[in-house]
Amino acid sequence: MNDDVMNQLKKDYLYKLMLENKRADGRNFEEYREIEIQTDIIDKAEGSASIKLGNTYLVAGIKIQPGEPFPDTPDDGVIITNIELLPMASPIFEAGPPREDAVELARVIDRGIRESKAIDLKQLCITPGEKVWIIFIDIHVLNDGGNIMDAASLATTAALLKTKIPEKQYQLGNNNNDDKRLPIRNIPIATTATTLENTIILDPTNDEEQIAGTKLTIITNTNNTISAIQKSGREPLTPTQIQHITTLAKEQSQKLREKFLEV
Amino acid sequence: MSEKQRIVIPGDLVSRDPARRGDGTYVRDGSLYASLYGLVNEREKIRVVPLSGKYVPTRRDVVVGFVKEVTFSNWIVDIGSPYEGLLHVSEYPRRIELDEMSAHLGIGEAVLVEVKEVDPMMKVELTMRDRRLRVIRSGRIVEISPSKVPRLIGHGGSMISLIKGASDCSIVVGQNGRVWINGKGCDEGLAAEAIDKIESESHIPGLTDRLGRFFEETKNDADLNESDSNESDSEEEVVVESGEEAGKGNNIIDELLE
Amino acid sequence: MTKPESFITNGIRIDGRKPEEIRPITIEVGVLDRADGSCYIEHGLNKVLAAVYGPREVHPRHMQKPTTAIVRFRYNMASFSVEERKRPGPDRRSVEVSKVSREALEPVIFTEYFPKSSIDVFVEVLQADAGTRTVGINAASVALADAGIPMRGLVSACAVGKVDGELVLDLMKEEDNYGEADMPLAMTQTGEITLLQMDGNLTPEEFEKAIEMAQEGCKRIYEIQRNALIERYKRDIETEEEPLETPEEEPVEVETVVENEAEEETSEEVESE
Repeated sequence: MNDDVMNQLKKDYLYKLMLENKRADGRNFEEYREIEIQTDIIDKAEGSASIKLGNTYLVAGIKIQPGEPFPDTPDDGVIITNIELLPMASPIFEAGPPREDAVELARVIDRGIRESKAIDLKQLCITPGEKVWIIFIDIHVLNDGGNIMDAASLATTAALLKTKIPEKQYQLGNNNNDDKRLPIRNIPIATTATTLENTIILDPTNDEEQIAGTKLTIITNTNNTISAIQKSGREPLTPTQIQHITTLAKEQSQKLREKFLEV
Repeated sequence: MSEKQRIVIPGDLVSRDPARRGDGTYVRDGSLYASLYGLVNEREKIRVVPLSGKYVPTRRDVVVGFVKEVTFSNWIVDIGSPYEGLLHVSEYPRRIELDEMSAHLGIGEAVLVEVKEVDPMMKVELTMRDRRLRVIRSGRIVEISPSKVPRLIGHGGSMISLIKGASDCSIVVGQNGRVWINGKGCDEGLAAEAIDKIESESHIPGLTDRLGRFFEETKNDADLNESDSNESDSEEEVVVESGEEAGKGNNIIDELLE
Repeated sequence: MTKPESFITNGIRIDGRKPEEIRPITIEVGVLDRADGSCYIEHGLNKVLAAVYGPREVHPRHMQKPTTAIVRFRYNMASFSVEERKRPGPDRRSVEVSKVSREALEPVIFTEYFPKSSIDVFVEVLQADAGTRTVGINAASVALADAGIPMRGLVSACAVGKVDGELVLDLMKEEDNYGEADMPLAMTQTGEITLLQMDGNLTPEEFEKAIEMAQEGCKRIYEIQRNALIERYKRDIETEEEPLETPEEEPVEVETVVENEAEEETSEEVESE
């Protein structure tokens, strides 16, 4: 079926459910789908994790290589984040250069990590002004079941927590072993809510995303501060809605953060 | 049903007798091989019933479509196939003006249509000029793999009758795997769940019995009052049925009115 | 990675295999829910996912063919799939691999059943360790069957290479990097060769033997592909059925017998050529 025009009956059905306080998959409005995270799945990467969030399935891989720092931050490591919405993941994703939503997703994930100072970039300096460790975060979306943002955020954080710096491989650093962990100081987690008429739901499926008004992603940190926010979608939000979502995000991200104690 | 299920993959030998060639097979070097991944159905002809696959329209199929575009004199209808359907304004049940087309049938709306003609270039013409056909404005549409349509209908309509009886819904099965569930006060959810079960378990033997048990369990769970009989207020029932025996469901429009 | 001193010691390769042995392979069918068909293969250290969409409408329309479906194949390597990070998106290598892989599969697909449509195959290499194009073809072939695409049969692919002057089947990374030749090959069940590439150095005698070895490898891989497809539904059928009514092994045993006959014919054909 064509995804770009959803048939009216399906929309009506989802709305009808919503009025009855229900969702098509039986969850309540603030409930996440089942989350399954696996780490260290790609031996060739310095860190990796796959996540299944309901039907959404993606892999985050971290590569670390030496390179030049940015001129304005000569003694900081560099983070480069990229998301590939692979054409295998959905009938509406096409091969080719990243679409604007892929760029938006990658930039929000990037801001969450950067602004939370989750990675101590100072520790990634090899020779000030000349050589630093570059962290490439590449997220490959394999199946779009909705809410790629939160899945990507969780997978990235899970992968970063397991990432090791390849000092030995590149004969750099003082340890000269490949077991040095990436210095992680914070666990940023994205929580995405979407508006459906006057209702707010968390962790939308791809069907729900099609009828949703606007998404709001809040990335919160271990100490409950917020490091990134993104409103995505045309419909405006009221301050009350935003406040409500922020509260939900705070609660939800704490719950999700516990996932990482298990990993 | 204790029919033995034999799974084959493309390229598997199914018979030495090419004269028994049915759907899902092809002849190579005088023998019959499977061209599809599916279950062997051995009657007079040998068919391979696929476990998945896209709907390809055939003349006289009744299908559920979604309008995706309205042009000067045609509705362009997504019929869940690699080929879109064209519904010309003259094929609408009654005469309407060209500039009123969207008002009668707009983008995103669902229609129950019949395939009027398919040319070799796969231009698919649709019609609504039959009293069974209509714009669908109520109820729910669920989708199953088109290859599962014969199983959903069952031998002589047995499976679909079972679901209709248990849910009190009127159910129309489009050949393209889109199923319209409708009826005042009927249990759409139950019907949808049952159809879902058939979709995921149709290759497993004993489906009818399992479905019977499923309805019994849900009935016990919900403790339904049994007074509502099969003949409830579902106004009119239309079953578009695919003959199990028929190669493809083009000759098999069966109408059951209750 | 450094070059090992020798690749074969007492007839055993550095990863413990004999020269004509393939790496362990596991295949899972139907792993993605949006795609019409999908397959995940782990082949040695390779991790490859294939998805099929279609037949579906062709965009852009000018690519439509009036009498057949077009097959499109996109081979893509994840940035993190290799030692040195790969820049995202297609490069010249992946464009070539996509082209020859598509041509490896096209002969078995009944494209004439779906005029004007497209069958889109996407292969994603999550981890690469030599032979990714052959693994991609193997995965794609299974994913096409899973999508319900009508085919003459599966396509199986495998590479032969040369290390220490000796031919070996199914190169792993070190053998690929420092070996003297690499020859990927794909073939249909009836023994027709649908992909053949070679780089390096082989004598005509070695080339002839390499083809034979690759064919043997493909046959073994075919059995694993076939088994994965059969097993996917067999389990359901067996566990749900009354054990008395259907003896567990029977349906498959019938199949296997038939299959062997077919194969014997095939190998005869090949030999006589």
